[in-house]
Amino acid sequence: MMKNFVQFENVYKRYKMGEVTITAADGVTFSVDEGEFTVIVGLSGAGKTTVLNILGGIDSCDEGLIKVGGKDISHLNEKQLASYRRYDIGFVFQFYNLIPNLTAKENVELATQICRESLDVDTVLDSVGLAERKDNFPSQLSGGEQQRVSIARALAKKPKLLLCDEPTGALDYNTGKTILKLLQTKCIEDGMTVILITHNQAITPMANRVINMKSGKVVSNVVNPNPLPIEQIEW
Amino acid sequence: MKSLRKNILREIYNTKSRFISILAIIGLSVGFFSGLKAACPSMIETADRYFVDQNLMDIKLISTVGFDDDDIRDIKNLNSVVDVMPSYSADLIVTNGNTDKVARVYSLPEKTDTNSKVLNEPVLIDGRMPKKDGECVIESYFMNMEGYKIGDTITFKDNVDGKSTDTFVKSLSYKIVGTVESPLYLTFSRGNTNVGSGTISFYMMIKPEEFNYERYTNVYVTTKASQQGLSGFSDEYKEIIDDETTQFEELSSSCINRFNSTTLSDAKKKLSDAQKEYAEKKQEAENEISDGEKKLYNAQKEFNDKIVEAEQKISDSEKQLSDAKTKLSDGQAEYQTKINDAYNQLVDAQKQYDDGQKKYNDAKLQYDTKISQAQSKLNAAQSEYDRQYNQFYNTTKPQAETQLTILKAAIDLCNSEIDKTESKINDIQNAVGVDNNSLLGDLKIKLNEYRQKLDEYQKQYDDGMQKLADGEKLMSDAMSKLTAAQEEFEKQKADGAEQLNDAKSQLDSAQSQLEIGKLTYENAMNNGMLELQSAQAQISEGEKQLEQGKNELETQKTKGQQELKAAREKLTDGKYEANLQLSSAEEKLNDAQKTIDNLEDAKWYVYSRDNNAGYSGLIQDAQRVDSIATVFPLFFLVVAVLVCLTTMTRMVEERRTEIGTLKALGYSNMAISAKYFIYAAVASLSGSIIGTVLGLSTLPFIIVDTYGIMYTLPPTKLVIPWDSVIYSTLTGLLCTCVVALVSCFKELKIKPATLMRPKAPKPGKRILLEHITPIWKHMNFTSKVTARNLFRYKARFLMTVIGVAGCTALIVASFGLKGSISVIAERQFGEITKYDEVFALSESGTSSEKAYLMSQFHADDRFSSTLLSYQGSTTAYYKDKDKNIGLSIVIGDDQKTFKNMFDLRERKNHKHLELDDSGIIVTERMSEVLGIKVGDTIHFTIDEDYYTSTVKGITENYAGNYMYMTPEYYRQLTGREVEYNMVMTSLADDISDTEEDIANDWMQNEDIITVTLMSETIASVNDMLKSLDIIVFVMIFCAGLLAIIVLYNLTNINIAERVREIATIKVLGFYNRETANYIYRENLVLTVVGALVGMFLGSGLTYFIINTIQMDMVMFSKDISIFCYIMGFVLTLVFSLFVNFIMYFKMKKISMVESLKSIE
Repeated sequence: MMKNFVQFENVYKRYKMGEVTITAADGVTFSVDEGEFTVIVGLSGAGKTTVLNILGGIDSCDEGLIKVGGKDISHLNEKQLASYRRYDIGFVFQFYNLIPNLTAKENVELATQICRESLDVDTVLDSVGLAERKDNFPSQLSGGEQQRVSIARALAKKPKLLLCDEPTGALDYNTGKTILKLLQTKCIEDGMTVILITHNQAITPMANRVINMKSGKVVSNVVNPNPLPIEQIEW
Repeated sequence: MKSLRKNILREIYNTKSRFISILAIIGLSVGFFSGLKAACPSMIETADRYFVDQNLMDIKLISTVGFDDDDIRDIKNLNSVVDVMPSYSADLIVTNGNTDKVARVYSLPEKTDTNSKVLNEPVLIDGRMPKKDGECVIESYFMNMEGYKIGDTITFKDNVDGKSTDTFVKSLSYKIVGTVESPLYLTFSRGNTNVGSGTISFYMMIKPEEFNYERYTNVYVTTKASQQGLSGFSDEYKEIIDDETTQFEELSSSCINRFNSTTLSDAKKKLSDAQKEYAEKKQEAENEISDGEKKLYNAQKEFNDKIVEAEQKISDSEKQLSDAKTKLSDGQAEYQTKINDAYNQLVDAQKQYDDGQKKYNDAKLQYDTKISQAQSKLNAAQSEYDRQYNQFYNTTKPQAETQLTILKAAIDLCNSEIDKTESKINDIQNAVGVDNNSLLGDLKIKLNEYRQKLDEYQKQYDDGMQKLADGEKLMSDAMSKLTAAQEEFEKQKADGAEQLNDAKSQLDSAQSQLEIGKLTYENAMNNGMLELQSAQAQISEGEKQLEQGKNELETQKTKGQQELKAAREKLTDGKYEANLQLSSAEEKLNDAQKTIDNLEDAKWYVYSRDNNAGYSGLIQDAQRVDSIATVFPLFFLVVAVLVCLTTMTRMVEERRTEIGTLKALGYSNMAISAKYFIYAAVASLSGSIIGTVLGLSTLPFIIVDTYGIMYTLPPTKLVIPWDSVIYSTLTGLLCTCVVALVSCFKELKIKPATLMRPKAPKPGKRILLEHITPIWKHMNFTSKVTARNLFRYKARFLMTVIGVAGCTALIVASFGLKGSISVIAERQFGEITKYDEVFALSESGTSSEKAYLMSQFHADDRFSSTLLSYQGSTTAYYKDKDKNIGLSIVIGDDQKTFKNMFDLRERKNHKHLELDDSGIIVTERMSEVLGIKVGDTIHFTIDEDYYTSTVKGITENYAGNYMYMTPEYYRQLTGREVEYNMVMTSLADDISDTEEDIANDWMQNEDIITVTLMSETIASVNDMLKSLDIIVFVMIFCAGLLAIIVLYNLTNINIAERVREIATIKVLGFYNRETANYIYRENLVLTVVGALVGMFLGSGLTYFIINTIQMDMVMFSKDISIFCYIMGFVLTLVFSLFVNFIMYFKMKKISMVESLKSIE
């Protein structure tokens, strides 16, 4: 297990809104080890989504150094970033972002068809508990099921890093819990490095590492030696 | 409200590409529509303004007898008449080098009184107006074409088809002082005339005083119709003019009555007096002539009788003479025969004698030879004998005798020896002795030996004796033989000589007979000859006498004939003189009669402006542009509106959350929808305004100016077609705004809470194709996605296909139109008519003169074929007399050559049509205009008489309208022979002379009036059609532009709608190219389907446009080339690829972060 698998060093990101400049990431520095379940927590506008976007290669930083698995990704060009996203990153969105016109299985295939080595689509869907629903269109699935498809899509690519942006934000309590359970299981059983952002402080006990952000800065970076199983967490 | 306004402005700013594309689509179609729509009224207004400015007449009156001042006064008194201008005109022939051209000479328009305006006022282009006699102005177009300059002189031929030019105008040459354009002529067609080549080349104007007419030839009138400010092209104007025409026609009958009762009746009375006088004088003259003729007849008769008598005598003598001649020639023949026989006999005898002589000679020769041979044999035998004799007696015998002597001696010796020995023996024996035995024995042996020797010698001697005796016997035998031979020889010799002598004597007697025969023959011959010669001399004498008699007769005859001829000549002269006088008198009378005949059926022709060249053409052209302007842009507008409609619907749907939010905040429905309404209104209104301004400031000018090449018009006056502008603007506005409102209200019906949540995307569905497993299974993943997407949004599918198809159709139609125009000249003048030069013949030629001319044409080997033909104009109608069409009748005198010049064929299957003597073949365009088909009968004029014929065939033809028939059919129809008036020629392949050289050579021939080079005709047809090209180019350009905008817009919508999807797949790690392919695959399929549909649509659109804009005189090709479809398809694809290329950058710029932010 690689230490400092993900490294952020003094990362800055500024948005210009007319005459106002907003610094979304203000010297962010942290690191995450391989196989860890990391939760970045903070209020709205704390800069956690920015950090996740930069880490996921869908946004770029203005300053600083970012390394993933020892590879510098802060200076990649557009095409290299696309390759990085393709081979190294799995993304799970708050609103699932499934292609409405594709069945659950096809949504997963959309991801696997561009990968060099991918997991078997049916296996992945089985593992997220959707064996029965794989020929359904997103509109025929519940929110939780859609998020499972989304996770399956991310996992099927065999990413080095699974990034989750408020994956439970649009889900009810119980469904949210099952999704978090799924993610935790994947981390523990498959050794997947998971970084999840949330504004919900309550779920931090399930993480190996909790990074607290506020106004674009990392306030704390705490390692939790004994993460709790999600079933034991109530909020 | 302020924030709402801001909201709108921001919305426009944020979605500027959408805003601009709505603006552009609306602008393009509204501008295109109003621009094209403005062309027709602008053209008409320009012409109308021109007519008003030049005070163009409304009515033109022409009378077969002209007008006098009374007529003018009556016309002026009509209450609809505003102003009247009487004037003159004449069609005269202008000579320039070796070409004759017909000019229509007008009197310069002048004011009739001080407060009226000049009618038909010509526009002075250059120079000045004529001020004094001998000056003229000519039309500027002709001036430019023919290279005349101001200061040059126009010279008229001294006669016009036999009529002296000075009966029309005062002088033969006029100096050009200026150039003008007359409002009477709008096009460059100058019309036809009945003089010269039949085509008027140009018009010119001289002062009215220069005309030698007693009465006005034409009267121009302005009426209230045009003075009320009505457009000359309007229906109201036409109605008023129709009414007024009736008034003029009524007036004409009263004026004509007045004319008949005054001028005409005076003339008639004068004529009848003159006719009476003429008849009397004619009778007198005829009587005198008939007396003279009678005398002459008698003299002639007497003369003839005498001549006959004398000739009889001559002929008798001639007969006698000829009998004698016959006898002589018989005698000659007989004499000749006899002489010949005798001679032949003589020759035979001579020949026999010669043969005998020859035989004798041969025999003699033979005899001599034989004798000499025998003699020599005998001689040889003699000499042999002599030799042997000599030998024997001189040598052999003496030798033998010597030997014998020797032998005798030997014998004797032996005998003596024997005797001696015997004696010894005896002696011994006798000597008894004892010892003598041995001696005895020896002696006995010796004796034997002697005895033996003796025997031998004896034998030899006997032999020798025998031999000698033999030899002697031999010699004596030879001697006796020789003697016998000598005797025989002598006998033979004597016999031969006797025979020869007999023959010789026979020959000698034959010879003497022959001599006698010869002598007799010669005598007979000489005698006969003498007899014949005397007969010949007699005949010659007779002939000489006959000759003298004949000469005598001839002299007498000639003398008599001369006398008669003189008498006859005198009579003829007198007769001719009388006839001349009479016929000149008669001619005068006839002229007077003709004049009166012409005056008799006096008629006024009332013409409106329609009669002016180009007047009706202009309105047709304008309407044609207008029909393109209606069909094409309307289709255009439909496409545009459809696309805007889709765009607005989409936009409202996108703003769903915002609508919900505003609604939740308590804004009224009106306030919320106002944003979209205003957005749509601003886009379409500003588009309309920009489009209208651009369209109106370019298209009408381009089009009218292009047509202006064919018309003489002042600079274009723009007329804004407010109705079209407003209608098209409103259509654009209505469609976009109403759609905005409708979709807005649809959204507003939903509760705000629902609205604020993202709209559930349209659920994915299995499509039909998925159930066809074999196909579905073989499609790759992206194809499946594409297929499903295509069928998921059926409305979008339809809209895109229709939009793209519309653009493709417009492009196909543009190219189709261009193609159908551009092949006209090539088909018409390459495939259908094949002649290169047409020579117009002068009217006056007789048929034999024409035949001679044709032989000259045939002799010119620069022509590969020549055809004498007739071409004349006619008007034809089918059932409705008012629905008529002007065309030309064409007749070729030789059907085989005719086929070389004209390929009459059906358009569709190129089946060749044959002319026969039972009907006519007409051209296709004419059949379409009149609505006739094969088997129908049509009516048409030849020289103002109506005829009816059955249409036997309809032939492919593009330029002009023709009616073809055979000369025989023409004869049957009219009862007249065809008066051929032109020669069509095709040039041989390898000639060094240019077409112009050939034309100029032939123009030297005075029977040729004009030459038309087909290459020039082709050029002028192409020029005319080129004016349509510009509209086609405008169409192609606009169609292309529309296609680009529509495709841009549709792609833009597609991308805007799917921005989340695009962002998602980008996050998944799709490269830009993969992302683009993912989206474009759909676009490409839609474009291809649209383009395919558009090709069908384009075919229909093309036919529709072609049918709408065709002219009466020109048929457009109805074959749309595959090229047009390909162009439509390919261009659409190219535009689509271009748009996709532009969109690629837009897609690249889509920010994943922005698009994936939680849906607001």
